Amino acid sequence: MELFRFSRDVYGREVLEGMSWDLLWVFLGVAVAFVVVHALYRWRFAARQHD
Amino acid sequence: MNAVSPGSEREARTDRIVRHAALDRAIHWLIAISVITLLLTAFLPILGVQFAWLTIHWAAGFGLTAVVVLHIVRATFWQDWREVWIGARDLRDAATIVRTTLRVPGASLPQPGKYSFAQKFIHLAFAIVVLAAIATGGLMMVKIDTPWWERNPFWLTGAQWGIVYVVHGLAALCLVTMVIVHIYFALRPEKLHFTRSMILGWITSAEYRAHHDTNRWQVR
Repeated sequence: MELFRFSRDVYGREVLEGMSWDLLWVFLGVAVAFVVVHALYRWRFAARQHD
Repeated sequence: MNAVSPGSEREARTDRIVRHAALDRAIHWLIAISVITLLLTAFLPILGVQFAWLTIHWAAGFGLTAVVVLHIVRATFWQDWREVWIGARDLRDAATIVRTTLRVPGASLPQPGKYSFAQKFIHLAFAIVVLAAIATGGLMMVKIDTPWWERNPFWLTGAQWGIVYVVHGLAALCLVTMVIVHIYFALRPEKLHFTRSMILGWITSAEYRAHHDTNRWQVR
């Protein structure tokens, strides 16, 4: 997976174009993973409090 | 439907503590609408949903900039900005929260002032990321025609524009994660009184006593 996007200018030089949009799925995945782990932790935490 | 006598309704109203004034709630929701509009107009075309996104994107960016400037001016001159500033005590709170999460014996969750460490932290993160997006987005406006000026793509060198694009894109990607996490916490059952206060403005005095250190957040 690339971190950045590049293109070539009129002289053939490599030019930085910005972040790679493949990273969108990484940032979405991090958010979903955080939500799932936190929700599971809170659910387990609540279950233990009721034990 | 439960019948509520005028007396009990009056009691319920006097039981309320204002957490967010109407203008602050309007600022929050206008920022939310503009950020979500910006994210949708940025990422939907990348995901294959094609439409004329650019004008909507920069117009939402102008709106976001105006509301953020209003928020900064209001927080600086009319409000106590230290309420949301992360200080030494908040860092000690964070350490205690980590110890409590790891079940270190003797650790117990500290009661926050008006804002918890997590709320101050996400506010700081949003401030950094949104300001970075606004600054780089403002620079990128030089490259498009608007009703007020004609485009000038030679304002910066190609390499400098690359850095501007990287910072803008990274800010947008971070916002995707942060918005999802922010909405998740807003919908959690134990946080719903905060969400209600961002809609209606108030929490009850029972919620105030249960969730806050009344010395750290003294209600006038």
